Amino acid sequence: MLHLLKIEWLKVKNYKAFWVFTILYAFAILGINYTGFYINELTVENMPASQMLLGTPYAFPKVWQTVGFMSSWLLYFPGILFIMLLTNEFNFKTHRQNIIDGWTRKEFITVKFVFAILFSLAATIFNFLVALLFGLITTGSHFSFAGMENIGYIFIQTVAYITFAMFLAILFRKSGAAIAVFFLYGLIFEWLITVLINFQFHLTPVGYFLPLQATDVMLPIPFGNKVIYKDAPDVWIMVLASLVYVGAYYFFALKKFTKEDL
Amino acid sequence: MSILTVENLSKSYGRIQALKNVNFSVPEGTVFGILGPNGSGKTTTLGTITDILKPTSGSYKLFDEPASAANRRRIGTLLETPNFYHYLSGVKNLEIVAEIKQHGKEDIEKVLETVDLTRRKDSKFSTYSLGMKQRLAIASCLLGSPSVLIFDEPTNGLDPVGIAEIRELMKKLYREGKTIIMASHLLDEVEKVCTDVAILKKGELVISGKVNEILSSEDMVEVAATDHKKLLEVLNTLNEKTRIIDENSVVKIFFPVGKANLSAVNNYCFNNGVTLNHLVLKKQSLEARFFELTNN
Repeated sequence: MLHLLKIEWLKVKNYKAFWVFTILYAFAILGINYTGFYINELTVENMPASQMLLGTPYAFPKVWQTVGFMSSWLLYFPGILFIMLLTNEFNFKTHRQNIIDGWTRKEFITVKFVFAILFSLAATIFNFLVALLFGLITTGSHFSFAGMENIGYIFIQTVAYITFAMFLAILFRKSGAAIAVFFLYGLIFEWLITVLINFQFHLTPVGYFLPLQATDVMLPIPFGNKVIYKDAPDVWIMVLASLVYVGAYYFFALKKFTKEDL
Repeated sequence: MSILTVENLSKSYGRIQALKNVNFSVPEGTVFGILGPNGSGKTTTLGTITDILKPTSGSYKLFDEPASAANRRRIGTLLETPNFYHYLSGVKNLEIVAEIKQHGKEDIEKVLETVDLTRRKDSKFSTYSLGMKQRLAIASCLLGSPSVLIFDEPTNGLDPVGIAEIRELMKKLYREGKTIIMASHLLDEVEKVCTDVAILKKGELVISGKVNEILSSEDMVEVAATDHKKLLEVLNTLNEKTRIIDENSVVKIFFPVGKANLSAVNNYCFNNGVTLNHLVLKKQSLEARFFELTNN
């Protein structure tokens, strides 16, 4: 596997778009959290009473969840990046050449998923550092490991978003189609379907088990004490559901890629 | 040892049958041409044996073993188009291929030199001309000095000098004892480079064997007589001919090159009671032979 990863690294190391996306993604994580932090500080400064309503989102131990929630809006970045990494192979027909030159079809798919997991790990570590930073600069906040499980949720959510995007790329083979479906589904249709299932048909919590929603439920909005995901199942169930999804993306991607003509 | 054995290979794309029960085998140390017009199934055959396409039925063996990724690493393959990462330089692309094939990087410079691409090795692949892309693909095949090479239309996109260079390279590889499997729609190319050939037509194998036996030029003698039936009877017993073709008004008699003797034919017919009213010596071109093989 290390050798396969080395080859995968050779592919992205000199790919400018990879670095542009990764650096933009990192700055965006910092930026969106700084925005949240700044607005919160400003609001509390002007209206001290608002703290009752908002809570202390950027103080320990809440900060782990807050950063996870804020950063989750940016998961479309790595999603698009991985769609591009896959559709590039289809466009350049290098997915064929890799097999011709002596990879198995399974190796081609597996190393992509492993690379996605490693990338998610790096993104999670970065989120951890960002959370640590904002937690420490928030006035009256003291470091605490409480709520650290949220870092684990960030990791699972990142893996789930990226592998979902990769699955779409393998399904559609064209970056345009995959990106369009990824955005439309993630930002509009999944919410719509969740609302329909849960409230129109009164089937709560079934609607929470949609592919991306399942991970969103793990990191609910941290501002205020209002319950957003009413009647959501225990978090461990959502974690399990997300892992089943990731496994299914891998399984079906592998099935499609190993059975069909390339 | 047989480098490649194809057994009853069939491949359908929906209702279109691209390959129908194709059988042939490639002996070691040959330059094996797969010849056929466009759409005859050449690339489909090569795509199947490199695991890019899944056969509908039938099987194939590489090095007398069931196909595997490890077998493919021992073969340098150029299939259809040069497939490289557009954003990487020639050298970086070859580094990836070398890693996949589990070779070191040490012969990258050498193969680039062989295809005359050293000067542009650090330019991005996307800036290459069609001919340079083809050269890089051939360089990539040569990495690790494999004993078997598969080239699909290797001279595609090359200028006349490039074509001559690649053909020279293939002859050199052949002299070094390598086996080359080459698909081409250019009869002339196959005739110049190959030792063996399989001819495909609409997914079916027409014939396979040694080039000098299948694609040899022949002498043809065209004859006619008033008593056409009698003429055919007499010609059937004629010596040294390879075959005869009855074309109603005339009969074509084929001889190995240089063996046609008009007076002997005339004498033979006359002595057997047939008077010829038409007797012409014609040389058959390779093209005519190819059309004959692929049109019937």
